[in-house]
Amino acid sequence: MSETRKILIEARDLTIGYGDRLVLERINFKVFRGEVFAVLGASGSGKSTLLKHLIGLYAPVSGDVLISGESLVHAEGEDRRRILRRFGVLYQSGALFGSLTTVENVRLPLDEFTELPEEAKDLIALSKLRLVGLETSATKLPADLSGGMQKRAGIARAIVLDPCVLFLDEPSAGLDPITSAGLDALIHELARGLGITFVMVTHELASIFSVADRVVVLDPKERAIVAEGPPAWLRENAALPWVRQFLNREKAHEHQDA
Amino acid sequence: MPTKDPTELPVRWEFQTRPGGAATLFLMGELDAASTPAAWRKLDTELARLQITDLTVDVSRLASCDSAGLSLLYHVSKAGMPRDTRVTITGLSPELQHLLASFSAEDFRALETHKPACSFFLEDVGAATTSSLRDWRQQLEFVGELTVDVLKSLLSVKRMRWKEVMRVFEAAGVNALPIVSLLTFLIGMVIAFESAQPLKKLGAQIFVANLLGLTICRELGPVMAAIMLAGRSGSAFAAELGTMKVNEELNALQTMGLSPVQFLVVQRVVAGLLLTPILTIFAMYAGLLGGIPILLGLGFPLRMVLHEIQAGLHFGDLAEGLCKSLVFGGIVASVSCLRGLQTGEGPRAVGESTTRSVVSSILLIILADALFAAITFVLRK
Repeated sequence: MSETRKILIEARDLTIGYGDRLVLERINFKVFRGEVFAVLGASGSGKSTLLKHLIGLYAPVSGDVLISGESLVHAEGEDRRRILRRFGVLYQSGALFGSLTTVENVRLPLDEFTELPEEAKDLIALSKLRLVGLETSATKLPADLSGGMQKRAGIARAIVLDPCVLFLDEPSAGLDPITSAGLDALIHELARGLGITFVMVTHELASIFSVADRVVVLDPKERAIVAEGPPAWLRENAALPWVRQFLNREKAHEHQDA
Repeated sequence: MPTKDPTELPVRWEFQTRPGGAATLFLMGELDAASTPAAWRKLDTELARLQITDLTVDVSRLASCDSAGLSLLYHVSKAGMPRDTRVTITGLSPELQHLLASFSAEDFRALETHKPACSFFLEDVGAATTSSLRDWRQQLEFVGELTVDVLKSLLSVKRMRWKEVMRVFEAAGVNALPIVSLLTFLIGMVIAFESAQPLKKLGAQIFVANLLGLTICRELGPVMAAIMLAGRSGSAFAAELGTMKVNEELNALQTMGLSPVQFLVVQRVVAGLLLTPILTIFAMYAGLLGGIPILLGLGFPLRMVLHEIQAGLHFGDLAEGLCKSLVFGGIVASVSCLRGLQTGEGPRAVGESTTRSVVSSILLIILADALFAAITFVLRK
């Protein structure tokens, strides 16, 4: 992978955990501008925990997360808010506010962070909803949307402030294969069309092979990254046999049980 | 012909007007969420003044443009101009063209014309009446189901989850002791203070002790313990069951063939019935302990105070207080669980059912207290 590309996110000697329990130890990786970067691992390998550290929800035990060379861990006050405003996050459930309609949910960041005229806010929110194919559901409440629609509305809200990086926590979880494929197509379109960088945490191999440029594989036993590279390349060339098996949809759990 | 150069903004523009109402608008600089609001207002004013019929917007010199900037371009090209004006945008990158294509006047009009459904007064009254009747019916059904399940559980040791009863007993009873005791201690003090002055005028200050004993044991002890139980533990019951309902845990129980009332409510109601009289006894003691120092301060010896309290109180008063507490405990536990089971969809519903549990519990406590007062009044005649 060419190091001349611009590095957007860098995890440097990052150790994360809850209290005394360490989840990942001294891990290093880089996410380049404009790529779709996936974090893959079995349940309990620390994928979601890693994501929460990357978006600054939790402080790491040690190490640093750099966003365009600036430390997120040590940033405070306005500096931290400036860094975080460049992020969009899609949570597993969509995390829409139940008391607001879909368009109000999408408009919320515009209301909070911009001085735009009302017409502009509505136009932008509706354009994002059209991008994710929800223009006809703008006035519905989240409870009236299906799981896949809620995720798409969550993406619309996450991209409404034009973030430079979008974090996705298990985007395909709980979705049927058709909706999941539609979501992958949307990620592809947003990444290629708008140049948004994606960091997605998932265990859906189909999603990874469909949209990811690079992938890191986490091992809960080693508490480390055990493979890194383009998914198709890793499938053939990963150093560890279980990673190759895992990516080839073979019985990866045999390794876990061994 | 340049007409304006608003240099104070990160975005700048120039108009080149041609004869016949044609013009080209050149945009330069950064058209983003920070600069768009001011640019929107100024451009709107200028476009209205210039009366253009054919406008070309050239954005090739823009250093950056985000969604906010695109919304302005869209506004200029559609809504912000007279109907017969032809607007062409040139110099947009393919990515931005793609984004601009996602703006839609149709969606905007649909949102503008969308009005939330408005109901009529009579319709609201009808809906509220039906809802109240349905609620009463559910309460009645719930009381029936609960009575049967409690009796069945008490008769069959295996059916009852005594561990859960003990957990609730500890959380709602033992852990509530300090706050209930403190509350009634202070109320005992307040009663003694407030009654000492008027009774002094009648030369009957020693009867503060009798008054204290009666009010604390017959009324305030059970009522305050029950109100604290409703606010502290009843709300927790409703929130816990409500969250379980939202998380579909109650559906899981039903599909396993288990009744939520049998599995979750009976334990809470039995614990509530057991713990409220004990909590009330503590409340009574704390209330009396709160009033005694005031009486001592008024100059009455301890022996005299204790004797007056004892003389004013009968076994019947104590029994009335404890009977009340038993009823109140049953009311709080069952109503709170019912409100929890009635929770609708979403996190807001949990908050609503918690509020409803506290309001209903306190209302029913006071109602039951009034009934007790009327019944005991008739019985004492």
